[in-house]
Amino acid sequence: MSAQAHPESINVKLHLWRQAGPEDPGSFEKVELKDISTHMSFLEMIDVANEQILEGGGVAVCFDHDCREGICGMCSMVINGQVHGPEPGVTTCQLHMRSFADGDEIYVEPFRASGFPIVRDLVVDRSALDKIVMAGGYISVNTGSPQDANSMLVPKDKADLAMDAAACIGCGACVAACPNAAAMLFTGAKVSQLALLPQGQPERASRVLGMVDTMDSLGFGNCTNEYECMAACPKEIDVSNIARMNREYLRSSIGSAEGV
Amino acid sequence: MLSWLTRTARSSIGRKAVVALTGLALIGFLVVHLAGNMTFFADSDGATFDAYADTIGNNPLLPLAEIGLVVLFLVHMGLAVRLTLENKKARSKGYMVSKAHGGRTPGSRTMIFTGVIVLLFVILHLAHFRLQKGDDVSMASLVRFELSRPLGAGAYVVGLLALGLHLSHGFQSSLQTLGLNHPKYTPLVKVLGYGLAGLLTVGFLLFPLTIFFGGNS
Ligand code: HEM
Ligand code: FES
Repeated sequence: MSAQAHPESINVKLHLWRQAGPEDPGSFEKVELKDISTHMSFLEMIDVANEQILEGGGVAVCFDHDCREGICGMCSMVINGQVHGPEPGVTTCQLHMRSFADGDEIYVEPFRASGFPIVRDLVVDRSALDKIVMAGGYISVNTGSPQDANSMLVPKDKADLAMDAAACIGCGACVAACPNAAAMLFTGAKVSQLALLPQGQPERASRVLGMVDTMDSLGFGNCTNEYECMAACPKEIDVSNIARMNREYLRSSIGSAEGV
Repeated sequence: MLSWLTRTARSSIGRKAVVALTGLALIGFLVVHLAGNMTFFADSDGATFDAYADTIGNNPLLPLAEIGLVVLFLVHMGLAVRLTLENKKARSKGYMVSKAHGGRTPGSRTMIFTGVIVLLFVILHLAHFRLQKGDDVSMASLVRFELSRPLGAGAYVVGLLALGLHLSHGFQSSLQTLGLNHPKYTPLVKVLGYGLAGLLTVGFLLFPLTIFFGGNS
């Protein structure tokens, strides 16, 4: 790295959302942190805040996290009004304190969507996304021995598009960032990933019908093509996946014999 | 027998597709409406425009076309308002601090507001030129009379700017809703959408602006 434009450490005023349970109205708790290394990740900074809260006799703030390397999709937070914070293309765990300036006020809120009920503090229940996948986001194959590598041809462009869609880690940032709390980028990515590949063809129609109907039943909003989802997505999933899902849904519901 | 159809019509994507199709159909009407109205500028006494208005007025199929237009409008509006209410419910408690990520546009943010302004404008417009169609006064002079008043011209300017903003998002959005997104064409569609919204807005704005500031009432 070349000359650093940012200081080695900063002081920040943290406002953490505290909510005892789903019914509690909740409010911000202010925590002033001194000498936070700018090399820390955002989650490490919250770890430090929690130690400070515990030393002061308080109760640590609950937040979701697991891999801390941008692949599990657990670290759901809205930082100063932006999902996964101000940097594009990263999860909260990959966000570093060098993205903040000395003296910054930092507001941390949970994902807010009726489809993601708040469990406690910053922890929300994102299992609705699992329900959408359970409604068809898979292929049914007998897992025998692998077949010959060249027996099923996949064009390079389709493979690339499928791979791009499969980069979705299911973190729910699209839902949290969507002005309508819609889950259409997530569902679009999961539908696309399989619709583009030969292995996805046998269940192509039933998959999209099942997944969209399930998505509709879980309290998510309807896409109005504002594209906040794509701008917030840590994996930069493209909204063309939503168009593909719309296409797949209409051709399956109107143009196929599925679901008569 | 038609359960697949009701299932589609009730789904999020099905209803969005109907909003998009009715919106596109209304855009189609606006293009024809503007083209026809341009006869207003063909001469100074409004004879061409009056002849055009008479031709439409005397067409026996006019009521059918009008009913079709009203149905398109009501279906578009009804579904769009319902979707908007559902979207509000999908985030019952909003963010304390919120900052856009860079996807939204002035048009996309305001669809329901510009839609409601367009609705009020259309009601006013019909009251002016559909309901008070006297036999003794020519259409051209009626248009001149209504649009030379500050309140009349002002209402048209506001209504048309709202329509322009609605369409700046609406055109490109409707194609995405219908599943039409393509690496070659989508960038063109965006430009075309802004162009179409601009052309319709400026085209219709010619009426209140030239009549109000032209002072030839
Ligand atoms: C001349 C009249 C109108 C035209 C040409 C028009 C056109 C359109 C178009 C093309 C769309 C995009 C559809 C999509 O995103 O798929 C749209 C969306 C919308 N329209 Fe209109 N519209 C008109 C009147 C209205 C009225 C009167 C209202 C409501 C009072 C309204 C409310 C909306 C809303 C809320 C949306 C966003 C819906 C969504 O994306 O889910 N529109 N309109
Ligand atoms: S903790 Fe796994 S993606 Fe952030």
